[in-house]
Amino acid sequence: MPLIKIDDKEFEVPEGETVLRAALNHGIHIPYYCYHPSLSIAGQCRMCLVEVKGAPKLLTACSTRIGTVPDERKIDGRWDMVVETANEKVRKAQKGVLEFLLLNHPLDCPICDQAGECQLQEYAYSYGNASSRFDFDKLESPKRVDLGPNIVYDSERCIKCTRCIRFCREITGTQELTLVNRGAHARVGVFPGRVLDNPYAMNTVDICPVGALTSRSFRFKERVWFLSSANSVCPECSRGCSIRFDTYKGEVLRLVPRDNPNVNGPWMCDHGRLLSDRLKQRSLLDRPAVREGETWRHYTHESFWDAFRNKTSPFAEAMASDAAVILSGRMTCEELLASKALTDGLFGGMPGTMVRVESGEDDALLKRRDRRPNIKGAELLGFPIADSGTSAFDLLAGRKAALIVREDPLGDARENEKSKVKVALSGLDLLIVADEAFTETAEQADIFIPLAAWHEMEGTTVNFQGVVQKTARALVPPANRRTFWEIVPLWLESCGIEPPDVSYKYWFERFKDNVQALEGLQVRDLLPHGVRLEEVAS
Amino acid sequence: MAETLKILTKNMGAANSTSLDAYMASGGYETLIDTLHKKSPDQVLEEVKKADLKGRGGAGFPAGIKWSFLPKGKERVKYLVCNADESEPGTFKDRLLMENDPHQILEGIILAGFATQAAGCFIYIRGEMYHVHKTLARAIEQAYAKGFLGENILGSGMDFHIWLARGAGAYICGEETALMESLEGKRGQPRLKPPFPAGYGVYGQPSNINNVETYANVPHIVKNGADWYKTIGSENTPGPRLFGISGHVKRPGVYELPAGIPLRELIYDHAGGILGDRPLKAVIPGGSSVPVLRADQIDVPMDLEGLKAEGSMLGSAGVIVMNDSVCMVRALKNLMEFYSHESCGQCTPCREGTHWLKLIVSRIEAGEGRDGDCDLILDVADNISFKTICPLGDAAAMPATSFVKQFRDEFEAHIREHRCTVPASRQTTAIG
Repeated sequence: MPLIKIDDKEFEVPEGETVLRAALNHGIHIPYYCYHPSLSIAGQCRMCLVEVKGAPKLLTACSTRIGTVPDERKIDGRWDMVVETANEKVRKAQKGVLEFLLLNHPLDCPICDQAGECQLQEYAYSYGNASSRFDFDKLESPKRVDLGPNIVYDSERCIKCTRCIRFCREITGTQELTLVNRGAHARVGVFPGRVLDNPYAMNTVDICPVGALTSRSFRFKERVWFLSSANSVCPECSRGCSIRFDTYKGEVLRLVPRDNPNVNGPWMCDHGRLLSDRLKQRSLLDRPAVREGETWRHYTHESFWDAFRNKTSPFAEAMASDAAVILSGRMTCEELLASKALTDGLFGGMPGTMVRVESGEDDALLKRRDRRPNIKGAELLGFPIADSGTSAFDLLAGRKAALIVREDPLGDARENEKSKVKVALSGLDLLIVADEAFTETAEQADIFIPLAAWHEMEGTTVNFQGVVQKTARALVPPANRRTFWEIVPLWLESCGIEPPDVSYKYWFERFKDNVQALEGLQVRDLLPHGVRLEEVAS
Repeated sequence: MAETLKILTKNMGAANSTSLDAYMASGGYETLIDTLHKKSPDQVLEEVKKADLKGRGGAGFPAGIKWSFLPKGKERVKYLVCNADESEPGTFKDRLLMENDPHQILEGIILAGFATQAAGCFIYIRGEMYHVHKTLARAIEQAYAKGFLGENILGSGMDFHIWLARGAGAYICGEETALMESLEGKRGQPRLKPPFPAGYGVYGQPSNINNVETYANVPHIVKNGADWYKTIGSENTPGPRLFGISGHVKRPGVYELPAGIPLRELIYDHAGGILGDRPLKAVIPGGSSVPVLRADQIDVPMDLEGLKAEGSMLGSAGVIVMNDSVCMVRALKNLMEFYSHESCGQCTPCREGTHWLKLIVSRIEAGEGRDGDCDLILDVADNISFKTICPLGDAAAMPATSFVKQFRDEFEAHIREHRCTVPASRQTTAIG
């Protein structure tokens, strides 16, 4: 392996490694804009210029590869390459490039969404001049270009790093974007007749190092430094992309991917990302409720369980012998285990059945046909999983009572099947629905128990590859919306059965008891990238 | 005074000089016929290497060495490219060759194809040269009809094709890799190197690119030998050279002369001296990108090393002569407008730097210059120089730097007095 010296550090790197990656891997920061580890090397921002001993001019660290040289050409008889990243010559080049980038860049940071997480701001601070020598009018160019339904482009802020263009060429292969015009008038544009609307388009907003590409969903919503973040997992399909929920004052403002080589790399799909918008549109019911004729009576948990017992006791026999329990891949492993305690105690010992909710096809990048994040977890814990063709209707038909947790068979049914599902639901003597939203199915229920939403609970989930990840609480739910593992003990207690513990830790330990491969692991071992079960096992 | 040569320009002015018949009547294609049957590719390659044929596009890289960078044999499909995107201001020699003697170029290309065992050659011609493109197209057609192009050329077993492509008039597409991008139908912008064209060129295949004039030299080298070739010109720049001279001279035009003649001789003897018999003020000796010379520097020999020693470059040998009526600030403004307009915009220093330079020079020219603007120009140019993907940035920085250094007093006077201080300036420039 070649031996390289960068500044005063000496280390070996793999043959063919670039100077930039070698430096970053060894804690030497070289500033860059156009480089992105998942995209091809463009070498065009020129921010990463470094001095390589023996080269006639400064070289871009991103594109300079390190190789073993013959002994007689080793520098000082020892190194295959010697690089300086911060000498006077390099500093001048860095300052020069930064000054160039800022010439026509509007200093509208106070209203720019990128402010606070902007590489141009950061480098201007670390590598730039305090004042500008450019005393001309800045070029004016389009500031609100709709590249697609979810993305707005500000060509004045754009530094033409072409990451977005390369993303659409190399990652999605959709090729909507190109550089148009020349020189200082160059800007990013969509090809005539195209829109930037592929299923992963909004990743371009993440990889834009400046505020040129903004998400229509998030723009002008909040200054990023006021956001609270929680590392979690996307609940929108069985990929379970590692994500971060960014919240402010009790509201999820955006979802962004966390770079996880085990699961999603640096990307996530737009459908998952726009969960933040859909969360706003859901009808919520924050208190448990019992139907009284055509109306609902709302309770707090303190008073609810008496009413619950009164409502359900006539159907205790039906629940024990003739009930359908439909569970969901949206339940965490801990919730699933809690459901087992419930079905053992009150539903005749038959574990609940998972229905599959599928749409579309698996794509080549991330999206999975299976739209539930934790089906694999259920499989691992031995829950029966209905075949693809089996609908909730099939499970409910002919039953007297049903418990449906975190699924909305009526809302998810196709238009032509809705009446069928509705008939099946109305044929029940008792329907209990526990869900985070007040869904169409919940509207048909006799009892509704509100649950904490995915982003409001801690839990463990297993994606289709067998990667066990941890979700975190991004927001604290209102007092009466709880996780299912908090509901189960209350339910059992109300029916006179000794309840299990109600702590998260308890249920996580039960999860570990059930999955031999996880033995000895702590919650923290699942952060930040999760663990792959077969790796743990081996 | 050196005689003008009649090698590359031998057929110029003859009747029907663009026709195949006229070319063959003057001995054209004899070298090709002879070579195909009697020589090996390596013999031709070695002869060109030995002749030390220096590239005529601007960089002056030895063509034979460049050819030898291509992988040997026919295992991989290799391409030649002929850069006919002549667009350096002050340069108009390739056009003359294409306009008047296209077969000389084709013969050179086919010989190069023989030496490198390439599958064919793309000629990329500047879009504005519409009629020239038609002349070339006709010549290619004739060469195919005569069997000099196509499959099994003259029964030698050699297959070789020429494809003609027109650019759309972007200066940047004269840069070799931008040309290739454009040729492939993409946005014309230079590629990041390495990989170099010899490994990854047109459509990803190993490619060799030379200038029109470079190819035109090849038949003469192959026919007369490297030793003959090296008797012409100077030691570091052998062979005949087409000097395009324009601006304030009495007889502007293209002159075929041995490289190494003094610039003074070119201006005063061949080009007839300065227009209006006025004093000479400045000369750009090799196309608008190279550093400008002052009037007292014109005893320099016009070859690669001579001009290098004088702080400039031979470039494309397009000589722009300026007499004392020229305002150097205005001339530089013209150049800066050109380069900022032609910058492709992909890399930062060139995209932003050329724009900034244009603004500063324009401000000085408009009488609104500020103290420190000269140093600012020098520093901005330094921040561009050697920091870009392709040489366009350097091509803009070199004139900016040299104009200010060579004519600093004039720039400072403009700033100080807020007006043009060139007494004889009629507000015209030699450039553009």
